[in-house]
Amino acid sequence: MHHRIAVLSNVNMNFVVRMLSKELAAADPDSALYEPEGYGNELGALLDPSSSYEAFAPDITFLLMDLMELADHDPEAGCGRIESWFASLKAALHKERLYYISDAFLWGPELEIAPADGRGEALESRWQECLRALCDSHPNVRVLPYRRMIAEMGAENAFSRKMWYMGRILHTGEAQKRIVALLLYILRLQGRIPKKVLLLDLDNTLWGGLAGENDHTPVILSDEHTGLMYRNLQRVIAQMQRQGVLLGIVSKNNPEDAMDIIASHPQMALRPEDFAAMRINWRPKPENIAEIAAELNLGLDSFVFWDDSPAERALVKAALPQVAVPDFPDRPEDLPEAMVRIYRQYFEQVAVTSEDRQKTRQYAENAKRNALKTQASDFASYLRQLAMEISREAPEANSERLTQLVNKTNQFNLTTKRYEQAAMEKLLRDAGKRVYLYRVKDCFGDNGIIAAVILDLTQAVPMIDTFVMSCRVMGRNLENAIVEDIEKELYSQGFSSLQARYLPTAKNKPVENLFEKLDYRILATDESGGKLYETPLPPEAKRNYCARWTDAKSR
Amino acid sequence: MKEKIIALMEEILQVPSGTLSEDTAMEDLEEWDSLAHVMLIGELESRLGVIIPLDEAVEITSVKELFRKAGLE
Repeated sequence: MHHRIAVLSNVNMNFVVRMLSKELAAADPDSALYEPEGYGNELGALLDPSSSYEAFAPDITFLLMDLMELADHDPEAGCGRIESWFASLKAALHKERLYYISDAFLWGPELEIAPADGRGEALESRWQECLRALCDSHPNVRVLPYRRMIAEMGAENAFSRKMWYMGRILHTGEAQKRIVALLLYILRLQGRIPKKVLLLDLDNTLWGGLAGENDHTPVILSDEHTGLMYRNLQRVIAQMQRQGVLLGIVSKNNPEDAMDIIASHPQMALRPEDFAAMRINWRPKPENIAEIAAELNLGLDSFVFWDDSPAERALVKAALPQVAVPDFPDRPEDLPEAMVRIYRQYFEQVAVTSEDRQKTRQYAENAKRNALKTQASDFASYLRQLAMEISREAPEANSERLTQLVNKTNQFNLTTKRYEQAAMEKLLRDAGKRVYLYRVKDCFGDNGIIAAVILDLTQAVPMIDTFVMSCRVMGRNLENAIVEDIEKELYSQGFSSLQARYLPTAKNKPVENLFEKLDYRILATDESGGKLYETPLPPEAKRNYCARWTDAKSR
Repeated sequence: MKEKIIALMEEILQVPSGTLSEDTAMEDLEEWDSLAHVMLIGELESRLGVIIPLDEAVEITSVKELFRKAGLE
């Protein structure tokens, strides 16, 4: 993914820009980096429509701000300065551009003798509050975790007085290197498709020792020594789960022994309901993993498998090469940090949506839906019992979910066109495009926003340019409801036909014949298997589905 | 100490090892501009404990001069 990048600051960051430019030239030569003029004029660059920054038109801007300089070393007037800085910034933001703004770290020589009266902290809190509010109101503004980086290094290693006096360079060489690494890391995150499921072994992975071996102290999991290492590992995993990572267990144990610990061991940070799938048995692990993939309706390349046994890891690697199998640390004290690295490498997303936070619940509800499916005598009665409700959602208000849905969906994806957040914001304001988002609820709960359609209206005949649906709700005829919704709207607006496209990928075989099933006529095919379709409006065939529309708009 | 200083300078200027010698002047090396110079002086102090007063540091234009101001001659 190629970017146009700008780094702005109220202190001299030009050496950071120079180092970043060398790294980018090696890692991503098609990216472009803004060459700042002088330094310290970040608001000027942002607010002046004729600035070189504006002419450069970056798609990602990093704002690395020194709070002490911004507050002008004045704790009395500092809060007001922070507020007006944010007000100015807000006026300068472009909706289609991304902004990463550093969080607060107050540092200056006078702080060492300043009374601990909370005034410094008040400045930091004001900054954090303003930043948080801006992020909440603007999906294109995100926090650059600068504070944590400085805290990890310690102020004495991060700040250089000599360079500050010589040339307004605030950070030591080491801190500048870390800033560059942080920026590169964030840039890499932008285009990456994250993994979805973390599959875990139990004995000597989630806890020390073997379940069922010893009655009195069943396993090593406690609030001290080695037991605390495992507990802290579980805390990291629990936080990952809250941020949308699905968890699963693939372990060779007696299920009763293992479940007893998971359900009732007082020091477990993870409980049965935190896991979207469990396979506790004595079968080969690759078989269990393939079964979980089918159950969750996810491709094997969405999975990460973690096990302390090198033999199990080798077996899974060999049998299921699409599954990521990271190494396991030799010493248990490294477990929590190893898991943090796994999160960074495989799971971290640019933005966590409310859909992510509820994912485990939604997948657990899915298991109940599957149970209903096997009970229901036939497909039609299954759909009836689900009592689905479908509604349109405003795409502008859910643009992060929209981007995520379009970029993460592989199977039910007709054309597999990907968009970064900034490009999506642009598209949302493009008069030649129209975006539809759909939410589905059923008797088990809210499935969330599960489908998106992007129409292209620039030609005489409108065209379904993108059609994606989450695999969670595939196989429920919802595509018929969605296509009907769009066909009806276009017909009511005077259009007499609609086109659609299918572009084959390694993954989207399930929708290869979607439009044939909907009675669309094939206008053209190409050698790679791509197809162009058309239907008259209104279509001759009736759209069969079993869901009730619940929008405010009556239809 | 001189070798250490030269190695640190090469690291900061991001030039291959062996590029700098005692005879190198600022004007010989594109990478050694005033911005990089600030970094050199700061890092010499924080990483090697080589302290050159500020008003002298800004006058330095060669490795030889840097060694002299650092008290290594």
